Amino acid sequence: MEDRFIKFLHSGKLAPIKKWGTYWSLWPVHLVTACCGVELAHTFAAGYDGERIGALNYGIARQTNLIIVEGAITRKMAKILRVTWEQMPDPKFVIVMGACGLKGGLFWNGYNLVKPSDVVPVDFYIPGCPPTPEALLRGIRQLQDKIKSGEAKTSVEFTEKDLGVGKPIKIVPKPKKVSKTATIVVDVPRKVDERTKEIAKKIEDSIKNIKVIAVSKNRVAVNVEKEKMKEVAASLKSLGFDHVKNVNVIDVINEQKFIVEYHLGSYSTKDLMPIILNLYTSISRDDPKLKSLSDIFPSADYMEREMHEFFGVFFEGNPHMGSRFLLAPDSPEFPLRKDFKLEEEVYLR
Amino acid sequence: MDVIGIDIFGIVSFLFNIFKSNMLNIPLLKPLIDFLMGIPILNLIVALVLWRPFFGVVILPGLTGLMLYLLWIVYFERKLAARVQWRVGPIEVARPLRGAIQALADGIRYFFQEVIVHREAHTPYFVQLPILSFIPILLPLAFIPAGAVVGIRTPYALPLTVAFISLIPIFVIAIGWASNSRFAFIGSMREAFMYFAYEIPFVLAAISMVYVYGSGDLYVAVEKQTIPGILLNPLAFIVYLIVMLMATSRLPFEIPEADQEIAFGPFVEYSGILFGLVMVLAYEKLYLMSLLFVILFLGGWSGVEIPLLGDLVAPLVLFIKAVVVISILVIVRAVYARYRLDQAIRFGWSNLFGLSVASLIFGIMVGWLM
Repeated sequence: MEDRFIKFLHSGKLAPIKKWGTYWSLWPVHLVTACCGVELAHTFAAGYDGERIGALNYGIARQTNLIIVEGAITRKMAKILRVTWEQMPDPKFVIVMGACGLKGGLFWNGYNLVKPSDVVPVDFYIPGCPPTPEALLRGIRQLQDKIKSGEAKTSVEFTEKDLGVGKPIKIVPKPKKVSKTATIVVDVPRKVDERTKEIAKKIEDSIKNIKVIAVSKNRVAVNVEKEKMKEVAASLKSLGFDHVKNVNVIDVINEQKFIVEYHLGSYSTKDLMPIILNLYTSISRDDPKLKSLSDIFPSADYMEREMHEFFGVFFEGNPHMGSRFLLAPDSPEFPLRKDFKLEEEVYLR
Repeated sequence: MDVIGIDIFGIVSFLFNIFKSNMLNIPLLKPLIDFLMGIPILNLIVALVLWRPFFGVVILPGLTGLMLYLLWIVYFERKLAARVQWRVGPIEVARPLRGAIQALADGIRYFFQEVIVHREAHTPYFVQLPILSFIPILLPLAFIPAGAVVGIRTPYALPLTVAFISLIPIFVIAIGWASNSRFAFIGSMREAFMYFAYEIPFVLAAISMVYVYGSGDLYVAVEKQTIPGILLNPLAFIVYLIVMLMATSRLPFEIPEADQEIAFGPFVEYSGILFGLVMVLAYEKLYLMSLLFVILFLGGWSGVEIPLLGDLVAPLVLFIKAVVVISILVIVRAVYARYRLDQAIRFGWSNLFGLSVASLIFGIMVGWLM
């Protein structure tokens, strides 16, 4: 399937003309997802000038015949890559730039990463992080050579030499034991100023029977039971906290629980404006259910949906539970849980 | 040679006599032509090629000249933009010619690419309109004279040419409509808006030159230019120059096709050779308008006398003048940024319209003095 375009260019009586025209007129459309785009810009700018060899950088897929994929392709971008590739008229070619497209690069075992070769037939890879403009130009020249001769070749061949002397290469062994428990304690007491203490006291007076801790300057924490969460949130709202800044879930795997945090803030009451209140509770890891606060604080809605996707915490009362919001439809379930299985490290040789 | 009651030989000799009676007179090539006219079937072809109406429409300044110009201007524009940006531009293809056949390579590549007709398109119109749009391109070429070479000689040559040039945007809008895509829709809407903004100044500038020369006949226009038209009516010259940029989507007014914003507007869905056809539409329009521009303002084909070439001088001079004018004009693409649609329309309806009315009054006064 990959070579049907080359076969088309090499068949028939008009083959020399077809080959010549395509050879000198590779117009790349670029799908830029990362920093390689900067190098592509250099390639077609003043210093290197890719237009010398007839490659005109073009923005629109319909009128081009080469796509340069720059950077990591996530599950969501994979669809776009495929659509862009299918928009282009035959014969068309693909060049993948950079380490991310080749092996994953920085993101090599990310749950959301796709290899471009799974999506489209790739003609050439250009390794490097990022590759230099010379390397990209060399990639385009190699593609021209492929069009001319019909076979793909690497531009550089490295010969393997046995050194004979010296130590054999030591392969790092896998760690035998991985501790299941978190060992670092980060609960260091910090300076608390008088004003924050006063406000913590005030909050404690208004919500009964619950301890309010002044953690540090302008930071206040409230730990509540799972069942009392909604009640406390309502009374905090009447006190003046009018929005949720952030919803956060911590996976504490050794205690089999999730800690769910709501960071509350205020835009309306002047005294509370600098304060960030951390309202947190812990829920069981087996049955992670919690009453949603999105009806009290509408700004919590999106963040709850995000946490639902990443950790599988079910916020009862949020109407969007169960549907995908940020992740692609085909990405795996609950990727940020600590027991999520990532691609394992593999050592060659 | 009597086949099914029609005397083919008689018709051929009748046509041959028509061609022979009105042939180009080129003293330099006279021995060669006389020799070729002696050979039986070849003489018909030579007589046809050198027949003045045929030569004007198909060779120079007609279709062949148009194709040569297209190959030149696409390459030259890319090269010029590259030089302005401190680049080299296309150079490696045909290295001894410094990349001069780059446009040919692109054309061949387009020719052998797949033509995609998407599902939403109105298929018959989508495929036919790029080819049909050659009608308003080729028809004016029959009326534009070059010395002794002219397709159809008429005193209404100028109004007819202007009318046919004004027909081209209709095809562009129809192309955008047949594409049935949102970018194409926005592009054809912009084209329609721009059409109204530049068309009235264009027509007024042309009419003012009719008043200056006292006739719509382009021969009269060239004869009367002892002083070139650029000095007779400089206002009309300025209006015509700006309108040429607006009408052919040159860069300060490249609003319908803005490829960074709406991805070539009406032409977004075209691929392969059909895109090749629609892409050169603006260039072809530029060629027609600059032929008219040279005749109206720069003395047309007059000014150069080479007795040895005879009748061939006039079309050559006209063609070279037009290509030089366009080659100077394309530098604006590398220099200016793009106007917004509302800015361009405001400019067209206020400044340019006012200037064209002033040029009309000025033209009437000059015509009265002459």
